[in-house]
Amino acid sequence: MVKKKVAKVLSFRYKILALIFIVLAGGLVLLPKHQKQEGIKAEQLLSNVISPERYVSTDQIAHKIINQDPSFILIDVRDSISYNNYSLPNAINIPLKKLLDKDFEAYLNQNQFDVIFYSNDNFYADQAWVLCNRLGYKNLRVLKGGMNRWFTTIINPVKPNDDVAAEEFELYSTRKAASMFFGVVYPDQVAEQSDMQIAAPKKVITVQKKKKRAAEGGC
Amino acid sequence: MGPLIPNGIISMEWDSIIAIFIGICFGFVLESSGFSSSRKLAGVFYGYDFAVLRVFFTAAAVSVIGIYYLDYLGYLDVSQLYVHPTYLWGAIIGGVIMGVGFVAGGFCPGTSLCAVAIGKLDAWVYVLGIMIGVFLFSELYTFFEPIYTGYFMGNITLMDSFGWNPYWIIFVFSIIAVVAFAVSDMVRKRVKKVFY
Amino acid sequence: MKTDNKTNSHVYWNPYFGGFLLGIIIIFTFYLTGRGLGASGAMKSSVVTIVDQVAPTHAENNAYYSKFISKDDSPMNTWLVFEALGVLIGAFISGGLAGRIKWRIQHSPKISSKRRLVFALGGGILFGLGAQIARGCTSGAALSGMAVLSTGGFITMLAIFGSAYAVAYFFRKNWI
Repeated sequence: MVKKKVAKVLSFRYKILALIFIVLAGGLVLLPKHQKQEGIKAEQLLSNVISPERYVSTDQIAHKIINQDPSFILIDVRDSISYNNYSLPNAINIPLKKLLDKDFEAYLNQNQFDVIFYSNDNFYADQAWVLCNRLGYKNLRVLKGGMNRWFTTIINPVKPNDDVAAEEFELYSTRKAASMFFGVVYPDQVAEQSDMQIAAPKKVITVQKKKKRAAEGGC
Repeated sequence: MGPLIPNGIISMEWDSIIAIFIGICFGFVLESSGFSSSRKLAGVFYGYDFAVLRVFFTAAAVSVIGIYYLDYLGYLDVSQLYVHPTYLWGAIIGGVIMGVGFVAGGFCPGTSLCAVAIGKLDAWVYVLGIMIGVFLFSELYTFFEPIYTGYFMGNITLMDSFGWNPYWIIFVFSIIAVVAFAVSDMVRKRVKKVFY
Repeated sequence: MKTDNKTNSHVYWNPYFGGFLLGIIIIFTFYLTGRGLGASGAMKSSVVTIVDQVAPTHAENNAYYSKFISKDDSPMNTWLVFEALGVLIGAFISGGLAGRIKWRIQHSPKISSKRRLVFALGGGILFGLGAQIARGCTSGAALSGMAVLSTGGFITMLAIFGSAYAVAYFFRKNWI
């Protein structure tokens, strides 16, 4: 008799357990599905967008390139034709359409270098910046004004009028010096620099992949 | 967030220590559930003891429910987990051979290790047999290679191959499990008891 | 019931409780390491190590062994080997607590110990062979595979249990 009672209580318990089990499994079906949020929150993104910190000027970049500052990588988001036509020295070409390809993730998603995007102006570079920012990548910058500004300021600086402040002249002379570094030849010093190449040889930047190991397993 | 080690939250050096710790838990649970007894294991095929079915299905269902809840809550990324690759004919042929081996030997590798630990001599012989089996496979690898590497379908899940919603799969799976438990209990009551 | 507990060391946990704990361990394993459990991998590593010690050139020439041999690392230094060591320790603890540790051969009263051992060896060989072809055993392929809804895991599980039920009749004398 006792055994039968025990069996009854036990079987009741099993029924309850089975019910809980199925309810838990069914819970997964019924739970509201939410889109998995990848990367940073919208508010954070917005504040990043508003902040002007993301821009770097062409002068800063020129300065960095000339001093061979190793702390940054330049990313050209234009298509490969424009890139092959002319680009900044050591730049890596990642066309905007391929920005999120797996091959390039190592360049963008790392903490070693500052990443500086540029395109012809800053429109496409800004897009790349927003996309990467959304994914939570760090140290992203945009070259203000892009290649166009680069040409008007560094490669072909406009000579200021005589009546502006002295700083303008200083700026002009640094820009002019920089442009010489980048291979522009001025008539007053043709002699020795004629064989300078237009773009410096492209240095290969190896970016260490973030330590993220694929799970392995199996018997 | 998770899995912790592949994402570098716990460093790689802990991997082996965690392996031993998980192994201890695994072995303890297997042994305590009676998986070190070959006659208990074989009972599932003759209807006198359904411990294998119960433990196995409960474990699979609990783990899959748990993993998907963790994924839902954002603690674990299911897409980062190791998915056993599908080699269609390799899985079928290998599974059939393993099934015969299971009934003949009464163990599977995990449970034989448990039985080895508590001194079952048949398990020692069984483990020796597994090693011979692996040895044979390796020596005859050129012969088995077409099955071993052929019909590769990738590391796919049921969602990939049938396009089902994972949550419905889990729900149906757990209902199947509960029904299987109930049926197995009914069968066990009818089958003559075997004492071992 | 209590007297049973003392005299019969074959009182095991409630299978549902065991299964529940096993499920929790699998979740924990996936959460920590992103991979499932396994058992036959350790035996494969042992075989590779033995062959590598006995006949290194043969091991290197064989297409299968050479996958697991690297110059600077022993094939034993893998996750699954450590896990298998843990299984041995864990089972030993559990068996020790329940008083189940002793040298013995478990078999049906209808068959001799020798027959049991022969069948164990044969079953082991088949299982070892099958586990290599299917790239995993019941724990590695079926259980851990099912936990992540892997198609291969389900196929392997169905194949194992399907064929086991199909041939169970022929082996009934060994067990019942």
